Amino acid sequence: MTDRAGWRLWLPLGLMLLFLLLPFYWMVLTALKSQPELLNSPNPWWVFHPTLGNIIGLLTTTEYPRWFANTLFVSAGATLLSVTVSFFAAFAIVRLRFFGARALSTAIFFSYVVPPAILFIPLASVLIKLHWFNKLWALIPIYATFLVPFCTWLLIGFLRSIPRELEEAALVDGASWPRIMFRVILPLSVPGLISSTIFSFTLSWNEYLYALIYMFSSSNKTISVGLTTELMRGDVFQWGQLMSGALLGTLPVVLVYFFFVEYYVAGMSGALKD
Amino acid sequence: MTEFSRRRLMQLTAAGALAAGAAPDIALAGYKPMLPIEKGAHLQMLRWTGFVGADDKHWKMNSEAFTKATGVPVSIQEISWDEVQAKSGLAAQLGSGPDIIMGFYDDPFIYPDKLVDVSDVCGYLEKKYGGFYNIARTYGYDDAQKRWIAVPIGGPGDAVAYRESWVKEAGYDTFPKDFDGFLDLSRKLKKQNHPIGLALGHAVGDANTWTHWVLWGFGGKQVDENNKVTIESKETYEALKYAKALYETMIPGVSSWLDINNNQAFLAGQISATINGISIWYVAKEKFPEIYKDTRNAPMPVGPVGHQTMFNLFSQAFIFKYSKYPNAAKEYLRFMSEKPQMAPWLTAMFGYVTPALKDYAKLPIWTSNPNITPYRDALVDNLPEGYAGKPGRAAATALNDFVIVNMFADVCVHGTAPQEAAKRAAQQLREIYGA
Repeated sequence: MTDRAGWRLWLPLGLMLLFLLLPFYWMVLTALKSQPELLNSPNPWWVFHPTLGNIIGLLTTTEYPRWFANTLFVSAGATLLSVTVSFFAAFAIVRLRFFGARALSTAIFFSYVVPPAILFIPLASVLIKLHWFNKLWALIPIYATFLVPFCTWLLIGFLRSIPRELEEAALVDGASWPRIMFRVILPLSVPGLISSTIFSFTLSWNEYLYALIYMFSSSNKTISVGLTTELMRGDVFQWGQLMSGALLGTLPVVLVYFFFVEYYVAGMSGALKD
Repeated sequence: MTEFSRRRLMQLTAAGALAAGAAPDIALAGYKPMLPIEKGAHLQMLRWTGFVGADDKHWKMNSEAFTKATGVPVSIQEISWDEVQAKSGLAAQLGSGPDIIMGFYDDPFIYPDKLVDVSDVCGYLEKKYGGFYNIARTYGYDDAQKRWIAVPIGGPGDAVAYRESWVKEAGYDTFPKDFDGFLDLSRKLKKQNHPIGLALGHAVGDANTWTHWVLWGFGGKQVDENNKVTIESKETYEALKYAKALYETMIPGVSSWLDINNNQAFLAGQISATINGISIWYVAKEKFPEIYKDTRNAPMPVGPVGHQTMFNLFSQAFIFKYSKYPNAAKEYLRFMSEKPQMAPWLTAMFGYVTPALKDYAKLPIWTSNPNITPYRDALVDNLPEGYAGKPGRAAATALNDFVIVNMFADVCVHGTAPQEAAKRAAQQLREIYGA
């Protein structure tokens, strides 16, 4: 690679990295600053007297560990439910060739673009009738309402990229549809499933509106709701703890992406081919 | 200046409880419900997250005392104060949700028919504790139905927070008491490179507070007593001219300030004065000892109308008719408003909330430090949202749409002529009020 080519590559990459990582740098800085340093610093881009006080305070004086566990429980549950349902739905639409399958797949995708702000009142009526208000686990089926449509659409695209000859060969060998689904298609769908999993997990982890509206008690709060309702007190924001909480809250998502990013790209590529 | 220590606070908290005649357990021994509490009752309450930590802590302690006295469990949900209206609106719409909601301003008048009559509780409290301030009645009593629809709690009041040494350098031994003096001082402070700062962005609390205060201080009103739009008046033009002059003495950037920005600028030493609740002084005391030593609070100056024209936040608690336990909910609000509970709560907050009942102005916390005293009287001359009109949906909409704040920003920031800015505001108000 010539020097010139290097510049062409690294300059835009560097700018993009700067753009993407700057918020994280700012979060780290704020998390490590004491409140006086936050407001009175000769250079806001550096920490002169780093402290872990904000992180320790967050973990010991608030219910942050509980919010973290709640978020993990809800995100994992919603992801498992949504990816499972979506796989069955996508398999049926792509492989079973029933009347209206194409129209159904389009309808499923369109249901994803309905904004949550429109859905939350009708959903609230349903929850009240079912007596599911303020029940943490109720967030799992609620989140599935927006996760299933997109995951199904994603998996439809991925399953279409798997050659039909494979299942036809299995049919000739006498395999049933469930057997084909679990033994032939499922192992080949792993990149698509991982992609859907990452997508579902990230969306559930960051969800705010439903968790704010439908959960009542402090012990049922998720990270996004807990931070904003308990650390933003009127006109006094606990910036250090807020940023510590946001930073710790990004770790699971970062880890998930770190280990599965290649599958994620492969899954998205499959979906886009559709 | 009186030093205010944790020990002193504990003494005052104890004094507050003892002034009531009892520590909590003794209070419980004397507690007798006025109403028959429903069997198996349990209550859910939605309230705003306390502006200071001691608020939530003592409110919960008092709620536990209620549970101990009555056997009624109370679960409390706290959300950011500017989200309460949306959530209470949802509850009203669905006919389901928390039994009790602690809201702001005239929230109860958005859905008065859906609220439980609390006249018995309010009547009892008025009689026992010297009556409510006028503003409490405005936000809690429904004239049309001749009944109380909310139990007034109080308001996080406002006062001027200023740096004493800088104000003295500008030639003022005490903070000015009128608008002219305030403008003169602000100009002098600006010359000394210590500008003042007042939020002019969409700051729900701070921007609304000071713009209404100036508007009313000159006699301007968005509507008259019959909700007829009257914003286009010479009083409004004078208020806008004054605000423009004041704006020119402020630190740059106030047009984008939200509620937190003046606190941060003051604590960073960037501004010499602002208008705020006691939170600036409270946080300075806890975390900025140097600034705390030089921070003073003073009553807000008075405009040409000759009396206070403050517009403070105000909170009241209301019970929805869908509640299965209205008696338990009413008893809870009565219990929380009684002195054995109210006194320690107010004291622990350093008077952050100015109570709606007049007798609580006698609590020792208000005179324990001269910087707390200005907040004691914050509700005396407080005018209501939508003044001089009636509270309700239109007044709430005008406030939510920042009609008055935008009018001031038009003149101060964008250089619009006062007449033109008032004309735009009038047009918007006519659409809101349906005139």
